[in-house]
Amino acid sequence: MRQFTPLVILLTTGLSQVAMAQSRSISGRVTDQKSGEGLPGVTVLVKGTTLGTGTGNDGSFTLNVPASATTLTFSFVGYTTVEQPIGTSPTINVSLTSDTKQLNEVVVTAQNVERTRNSLAYSATVVEGQQVTAARNPNAINGLSGKVAGVQIRQSNTLGGSTNILIRGTKSITGNNQPLFVVDGVPISNANTNSTGQQTGGGGYDYGNAASDINPDDIATMTVLKGAAATALYGERAGNGVILITTKKGRQGLGITINGGITAGRIDKSTFIKYQKEYGAGYGPYFNQADINGDGIKDDYIQLSADASVGPRFDPNLQVYQWNAFQPGSNHFGQKSAWVAADNDPTTFFKTALTLNNSVTIDGGNEKGTFKLGYNSVIDKGILPNSQVNKNVINFAGSLNITPRLTASASVNFSAVTGKGRYGTGYSGTYSENQMTNFRQWWQTNVDMKELEQAYQYEGLNATWNLNGLNTDRGAYWNNPYWSRAKSFETDTRYRTFGNVALTYKATDWFNILGRVTLDSNDDLQEERLAYGSVNVSGYNRYNRTYREANFDLIGNFKARIAENVSFTGLLGANLRRQSTRSIYAATNGGLAIPDFYALSNSISPLIPPTEADIQQAVDGVFANATFGYRDMVFLDLTARRDQSSTLPKGNNSYFYPSAALGFVFSELTKETAPWLSYGKVRGNYAEVGSSASAYNIYSGFDKPTPFGNTALFSVPSTQNNANLKPERTKSAEIGLEAAFLNSRIGFEANVYQSNTIDQIINITTSGAIGYTGRFVNAGTVRNRGVELSGYVSPIRNENFTWTINANWTKNQNRVTELLNGVDNIVLASYQGGVTTNATVGRPINSIRGQNFVYRDGERVVRTNGYYQKSPTSNEEIANPNPNWTGGVSNTLSYKGISLYFLVDVRQGGTIFSLDRAYGLDTGLPVETAGLNDLGNPSRDPIVRNADGTYAANSGGVIFAGVQADGTRNTVRADNSGEDSGATAYGTTANPAAAFVYDASFVKLRELSLTYSLPKALASKIGGLRGIDFSIVGRNLWIIHKNLPDADPEDAASSGNYGQGYSTGAYPAVRTLGANIRLSF
Amino acid sequence: MKKSFLILGVAALSLTSSCVSNLGDDYNVNPKLAASASASGFISNAERTLVRTVTSSSVNLNPLRFYMQYWAATDYPTESRYDLITRNIPLNYWNALYRDCITDLRAAKAAVPNDIAVPAANKNNTLAVAELLEIYAWANLVEVFGNVPYTQALDATNLQPKYDDQATIYADLITRLDAVIGKFDTSTDIGTGENDLIFPGTSAAATTAEWLKFANAMKLRMALVLADVDPGKAKTMAEATVGKLPTSSADAADLTFDRTVPNTNPLYEDLVYSNRIDFVGANTFINPLKGIAGNATGVPVTGAVDPRLDDYFNQPTSPDVPAGTYAGGNVGRTNNKETLSQPGDKLRAQTLPGVLISYAQVELMLAEAVERGFTVGGTAASHYNAGVTASIQEWGGTTADATTYLSLPTIAYNTAPGDYKQKIGYQYWVALYNQPTESWTQWRRLDYPQLPLAASPLNGVTVIPRRFTYPASEQSLNGANYTAASAALGSTGDNVATKLFWDKF
Repeated sequence: MRQFTPLVILLTTGLSQVAMAQSRSISGRVTDQKSGEGLPGVTVLVKGTTLGTGTGNDGSFTLNVPASATTLTFSFVGYTTVEQPIGTSPTINVSLTSDTKQLNEVVVTAQNVERTRNSLAYSATVVEGQQVTAARNPNAINGLSGKVAGVQIRQSNTLGGSTNILIRGTKSITGNNQPLFVVDGVPISNANTNSTGQQTGGGGYDYGNAASDINPDDIATMTVLKGAAATALYGERAGNGVILITTKKGRQGLGITINGGITAGRIDKSTFIKYQKEYGAGYGPYFNQADINGDGIKDDYIQLSADASVGPRFDPNLQVYQWNAFQPGSNHFGQKSAWVAADNDPTTFFKTALTLNNSVTIDGGNEKGTFKLGYNSVIDKGILPNSQVNKNVINFAGSLNITPRLTASASVNFSAVTGKGRYGTGYSGTYSENQMTNFRQWWQTNVDMKELEQAYQYEGLNATWNLNGLNTDRGAYWNNPYWSRAKSFETDTRYRTFGNVALTYKATDWFNILGRVTLDSNDDLQEERLAYGSVNVSGYNRYNRTYREANFDLIGNFKARIAENVSFTGLLGANLRRQSTRSIYAATNGGLAIPDFYALSNSISPLIPPTEADIQQAVDGVFANATFGYRDMVFLDLTARRDQSSTLPKGNNSYFYPSAALGFVFSELTKETAPWLSYGKVRGNYAEVGSSASAYNIYSGFDKPTPFGNTALFSVPSTQNNANLKPERTKSAEIGLEAAFLNSRIGFEANVYQSNTIDQIINITTSGAIGYTGRFVNAGTVRNRGVELSGYVSPIRNENFTWTINANWTKNQNRVTELLNGVDNIVLASYQGGVTTNATVGRPINSIRGQNFVYRDGERVVRTNGYYQKSPTSNEEIANPNPNWTGGVSNTLSYKGISLYFLVDVRQGGTIFSLDRAYGLDTGLPVETAGLNDLGNPSRDPIVRNADGTYAANSGGVIFAGVQADGTRNTVRADNSGEDSGATAYGTTANPAAAFVYDASFVKLRELSLTYSLPKALASKIGGLRGIDFSIVGRNLWIIHKNLPDADPEDAASSGNYGQGYSTGAYPAVRTLGANIRLSF
Repeated sequence: MKKSFLILGVAALSLTSSCVSNLGDDYNVNPKLAASASASGFISNAERTLVRTVTSSSVNLNPLRFYMQYWAATDYPTESRYDLITRNIPLNYWNALYRDCITDLRAAKAAVPNDIAVPAANKNNTLAVAELLEIYAWANLVEVFGNVPYTQALDATNLQPKYDDQATIYADLITRLDAVIGKFDTSTDIGTGENDLIFPGTSAAATTAEWLKFANAMKLRMALVLADVDPGKAKTMAEATVGKLPTSSADAADLTFDRTVPNTNPLYEDLVYSNRIDFVGANTFINPLKGIAGNATGVPVTGAVDPRLDDYFNQPTSPDVPAGTYAGGNVGRTNNKETLSQPGDKLRAQTLPGVLISYAQVELMLAEAVERGFTVGGTAASHYNAGVTASIQEWGGTTADATTYLSLPTIAYNTAPGDYKQKIGYQYWVALYNQPTESWTQWRRLDYPQLPLAASPLNGVTVIPRRFTYPASEQSLNGANYTAASAALGSTGDNVATKLFWDKF
């Protein structure tokens, strides 16, 4: 529900309240149709006049109306205007229904300025809090997915993992591309603390990003400001767009809202590997032999260390020694067992995820002030054993009208996030393990998970399936996954406080001044463990980080009517921002001396010196904004800002940037002639935003590696700083059209935009031959241009039944148009599997390069051995992770108290490289690596030739589609037995990286909720309740369409620039279903 | 009211008093990055990087133990099948030498004049050490890649340095080497004292004299690299080293590693610390060491066990393999870790020295020099015997072991089969077991032993690589110069099969 705002009061008090001679008094009460509460601040007008008043705190009003008056209109932002005939009764009670599409609603814009939608000359999309929480997503940012044109959200499937948000495309080649988050005027950090290695799929944990520390139930609205014209007032960090979160405000009276919810999640099996069941352990189709039982006869035993299934063909009549013969906890200890595929494959490893999401909000107030207190608790247990992330958020906000002119307000948001056993991501980290890498890439299909669990539980030891050989109890490459999850867990805590104190002094009717201090404070501790007894060297590390950001603002707001038809609003402000990040990372060296003791002192070898960081940044900004309105029809909006940043060289560290926007509400002209046009506006704008470097890119210094014994070492850093950096700049333009028809039953918004980010401050990759492999330079231009469409229609809207469809569609085209002179490509990150992400002139950013097929006349060339020919270098573009378009469609159907809502989220195009497939196919795990070939023989059978060289009828091997070097159709069989290479014909050994690139499109049923609201009459009978809502909610219930086999194309290791279009150790999607009850008092 | 003005006033005051322009100059200086550094720190770091790079067994950096068929892979044979691309081996090697070694040596040279830790009298020697190591690194780059950026390299203002002709670079390096040999002042030590990692010490004899011997050994080595293409120059160079070369294994240019990660011998990391079994001996190498026929041509079948076999390799771990057995695997294929021999315990020690030039190598080079008609004193046989003896002793063998071995008819210099290239080439191969980069270069010069191609080579490779291809990133970061360099390599261009200028046969 939208709450009244001071500005509305301001507007309504401006109305004339002339009492006329022959008048009578009408009184009544205006209430919210849904909640039944009184609505304060509603404008009550005698139709056709300027006579009117506003409702009081409880929604009541009294108005003297002339005898001639026939109708009263009741209007309020966010509600459908109601016209009520004046009868003979002196009382008129009205209930208003909320209308989120009301076009004159108030929109919170940059620097918390509230403006009517009419006056906006740029795109700003408002998402109501209840839309964000529709499916009870504990992460408010994920709740935006599919709902806003121009916003691309990519969620990860890990527990508490991070969410990548891009607004209108990637702008910065190596810098931050995430939007700025502002909560009630407080810029808050959305940083993730994940390591570069983690982000590039190398292993680690995804600790999530900090915007998830917000209590979703505290959100009143989220406003997405997309273009620079909308955001320029926020300064350099706003170049990527701004997500403004307005929290709920206390209101008159006392209200209590309680949400209690529980959801359960199971993996979506379409996003997990499906194993072949024909061949078991081995790098090649043979058993090892040794006399194991001491009978003097050699016994067959499997290739114990092989983390692959390119071994012998299963045969239930064959008894062999397998891993379980050597693990005391197994039923088969010391015994041979049948050579068959496991009954319980790794899908049985996953548990049911469980989330408890509860919140309480208490709010209240009177003429002197308001307060609000909220508490949100989320207990999130993941699909992996021993995984849990808890979040507790307390928020308080209050305001006090010290005098009629002076208001003091404060808000504070405290959150504690504690994680234990987050999922390891990526390939493999020094201190993290990802069982998905194990299951998807390196696995023996004969290993039964239940038996593995028993083997672990027997003595609680690392009873691995992957022994290094007969005479050792050490694992080769992989631990027992149950043991790993139980023993090698991480723990983390993040304590965070953000909030502000502000004073607003209303000096005159046309001028007020705001002084505000805001603080965002994070304290992180992350501890990672690799248990004693692991395959890799055991260890413990800890990372402590404190982050502080303080902003000091002084903002004067002006509001005046310059001439009869010309309005003016403006602001003049100054901002000081100070950021400090201090961190230290330390790890044991050479392993843990004793088990289960996780302290740095338990290091076997002396510690490698801890890595310290001490980063201080400061930016000062002064800014001004002026908006001129003519007849509420034409609006001109001008802004200017100058920043001075500590991170640039003195003399080059201040930069100025302007914006201009013009809007024309043409429906004001057609009100009479075309009543079917409820609303129409065209607008256009141009804006620039300057931005500075990150800290410490200017001055040079030297690295200090770990000492060699008693010898100190020094080294020149691999990246060269640059004392001549200058600010970078984003120039953007936008044209938009908004229209609504038929009493706003149907409407749309369309935007066309282009932005160019020039003179980028990038750490450009250089040839190591210059002595550095990176150098900070001002170079490169990235262009984003795109179209955004969003619309809504209510095909049915009557008293009992409404049906509303919302849809949005975005197409963003990204191009790197320029790099440094003479450089046509730079590598942004390198990944396992021989692929890189790149910025290439003329291509979309983050294009993926690797080894390609060789083509002849559009067909893949096959070599004389039957395998595809690979390109001579790994420098060919093989994938592009940028989608062609994204969109979302939601339907809301309400019948009396029942409402059904569902959202379908679509991503079309873009490609993804799957390391899971590259290795998994190599090691013979997925179904297609086995089965029959074109001759009807097992494809893994050896190739057999007749005497004349032709293939025998019983030949194995596969014929790959393509042509031979001379252009003729390929008829050569490729060996798929693994006899020579230890790999199948389908994997990374035999194929270039391009063979593992897939379309990343998807269509997902993202959110679903079915809500029943108890009739008020009924609810009120229960202990003073105002309402009860029961909901069934579901998230990610169905991937309707995708082309990436065995995985979720959306899953990513981390937020940020890295890792887009790269899938390794991917976690399956989780289908979540649950229930929620909402009680309001 | 008063309070409100106070707060607004404080806010206003803070806006004006602590502006960015008033923050100190050092506000943007990273307090956790050293502003100055010691010359010895740079030199020691470069030494560490250089030695680790050329002796590494990491599949991301140095696959030459596979190419020389000392080792075969167990489960993951890709790199042994000559795939340089997937793991970006050329880029890692290139960066290690350019960025992590030579750049630090340049920084050392810049730091020496003002480094108070280096006494004035020793500054020239310290500079000479940095220069000598730089020459070694450059020579290695040329011997691995061919044409490389040289005259325009290491200039951070020129992001696209041109490649220079390999023979021209090599000639310049020899000029620089001669200059640096003349620069060492043997009356004083090298100035970095115990901090030096290769020749630590505080006396002229322990440091400067050793560096000078190393410099001459390098000169002999570079002479032999040129021997097939410029025998005249090679002869002059080689003969100039007479009497100045290392005379015992104590003079070897090697770096004794530390007991603690990350400064242990890189082999320790790959063979022990990783807890992995990625490598077993190759039958190409183990069979001759066992005295039986292998699959390489030009290798003696001695019928006797090489005294280094049990140092180079361990016996297989499988309980079924009889004691005293050694067995090698097939290069290019997957191999059984239990029934085949893994690299020996001596290679697994943290502190095992990494060798740039060994004494055994010096003697074998002298033997070769004699055969090439260079007047370096002694006979080919005497140097051959000294080299083989030194190698056996380096690995813990006795003089008696060496004598027995050298008396085998297929080993004794005068009776062993084949020409000097075959005889000395085989001994280089065996002696340089733990100097894979050096071994590869000697093998490319002498073409002995004639190693078979690994099973199922990848990427269409048809010969054992004679060079590394350029890093793939050079094509996009330095495209025009890359294209020119590739063309200058000859008709086969930037290909592993392309022979470098000195690799005539």
